[in-house]
Amino acid sequence: MIYCNYCKIYIRDKKAKCPLCGNVLPENGRIEKAEDIFPVIPLTYERHILIRILIFISIVAIVASYVVYKIVPTNVNWPGFVLFGLLSVWLSLIYALRKRYNITKSIMWQVIIVSGLVIFWDWKIGWMGWSLDYAVPFLCIAAMLVMYITAKVMKLSARDYISYFLLGGLFGIIPILFILFDLVKVNYPSYISVAASIIFLSAIIIFHGDSIKEELRKRMHI
Amino acid sequence: MNQQRRVEWSRLDNASKYFAATYSERDEKVFRISCELFEGVEPEILQQALDETIERFPYYRSVLRRGIFWYYLENSDIHPLVEKESKPVCAPIYREHERKLLFRVLYYNKRISIEVFHALSDGSGALRFMMTLVYHYLLIKHGEEFSGKIPELNYNASISEKRDDSFNRYYQGRHFKKKVKRKNQISLFTKVYRIRGTRLEENRMKIIEGAMSAKAVLDEAHKYNTTMTVFLSALLFRSIYMDMPVRKKDYPLVLVVPINLRQFFKSETSSNFFSTMNISYRFGKDSTDLNEIIGSLNESFRRELTEERLNEQLYWQMSIEKNPFARIMPLPIKNISIRIADAVVEMGITASISNLGKINMPSEFESYIRQFSVIPNVKRPQLAVCTYGDRLVVTFASPFEETEVQKNFFKSLSEMGIRVEISSNM
Repeated sequence: MIYCNYCKIYIRDKKAKCPLCGNVLPENGRIEKAEDIFPVIPLTYERHILIRILIFISIVAIVASYVVYKIVPTNVNWPGFVLFGLLSVWLSLIYALRKRYNITKSIMWQVIIVSGLVIFWDWKIGWMGWSLDYAVPFLCIAAMLVMYITAKVMKLSARDYISYFLLGGLFGIIPILFILFDLVKVNYPSYISVAASIIFLSAIIIFHGDSIKEELRKRMHI
Repeated sequence: MNQQRRVEWSRLDNASKYFAATYSERDEKVFRISCELFEGVEPEILQQALDETIERFPYYRSVLRRGIFWYYLENSDIHPLVEKESKPVCAPIYREHERKLLFRVLYYNKRISIEVFHALSDGSGALRFMMTLVYHYLLIKHGEEFSGKIPELNYNASISEKRDDSFNRYYQGRHFKKKVKRKNQISLFTKVYRIRGTRLEENRMKIIEGAMSAKAVLDEAHKYNTTMTVFLSALLFRSIYMDMPVRKKDYPLVLVVPINLRQFFKSETSSNFFSTMNISYRFGKDSTDLNEIIGSLNESFRRELTEERLNEQLYWQMSIEKNPFARIMPLPIKNISIRIADAVVEMGITASISNLGKINMPSEFESYIRQFSVIPNVKRPQLAVCTYGDRLVVTFASPFEETEVQKNFFKSLSEMGIRVEISSNM
């Protein structure tokens, strides 16, 4: 073992400098015999590099579009669309990444976020009603389908998806409000969504009622 | 849609609740227990030993999940695998939404290590798991050398005892009346000295492990009529004091010392069951006499380690969790409140020392095991101690680049004539 004259201690592992005082250790040929106790782990720099590149590209795109708009003015404020478009994509992407370990939860979040975004866009470009007429109801139906398929394909167990199935089913009933308050011009997507949700909900309650109860007891315990 | 078998789940114990709420990038609440053998570790045999061990500790198959009001532990059927050490020491284990086991088993050359997320277990609990793992490893590897006489591990507890929530068991309920008025030596508003330093990159930590003869240290401690823990605490106080800037010399120092409650209340749990005490000391005018420090510490330890005080502390810890208002707070708000409270408490802490005590393995294993060591989770410089046979290993873990305190500490031991062997991860 190498001896540090300053600290008066022996050093077991391979070190050129004393880990305590930082002084250079006397080289007395015994370094080869030193033990290898802790592995040397290199620093990891490349973390999130893709995300960084994407953020950089987004900023460049926004700046460039505003500059072009100022130089060549048009009637439509299209850089605004670039900005909100990118913000929408990022919002959706961040949630998709954050919830990536729970696929059904991720789908639920996407439905909520994307619904919010389409309504916002519809309103921004002068309310034509397509968001409530088509987008939201079809999103709900698609979500239920996708959730069911992923749960089956990935062989998830009931406790993993059941609460999100429940939420998805409940969310799909919301379009009934569109009809009741006469917010929509085209009715049939909302009807389909509500009907599908009721069938979906009754199926999971009938076949998975116990799981739901168990899952709720677990998640809601105080 | 086929019916699923019911999944077992359990509430977190008191300490786990705290750890699940306060883990962060800076303090991942992951600690490590290592066992160094005299020979290289064979991964296949270690895996077999792990398979044996996990059968005896089904609780270690739990994953941590979020509910609306509390976290909970859910049984899983994940099969734990041994890994070659390839991440920084005590790398993150628990990540929100990830369903993974809360511990990992590593090997590197002669060392077997387990790293545990603190919400699963405390040091003493994890040590039981570790001892069982090493026991099975050596039994598989060297079984025939014991010539038919199989050594016995001195740890027998039923599966339910191993996952017992002992905090809840010994909580005396609301009718508990404090017998003695707690006198705080240091009020919340006193400025306590805190060690500053340059943080290491990627929030890594610097480990300095010093191995020495337990007997030699104990002999020194006996010279001052005190115990190992008090003696090492006193040395730590003095090492920190020697590094303090002059303008802060009159700040008090506060050490947090975890107390293993299994020693005081009957429990075999391999989950958390500990409490902590704060030991403070204020240095006089440049007097670093060890006798004085030890005298004061002896007094503090005696005062804190009474049944009354321990019951009080346990009651206090539990009463927060049992508070009806706290219980109905949604989890994210609860987490934020706990984090704020924790940050306030942290302001009053200088460092920490925890002694896992003497580790007993069957005597037949003496020629195979060199030492055990413990690496604590750190937010601030922290010391962990454990003894196997005559080998005492003191591990200093720190998030800072600087090693002044560590140097003072080990140097003072070597100046007493104790041979100190150092190893470090940096």
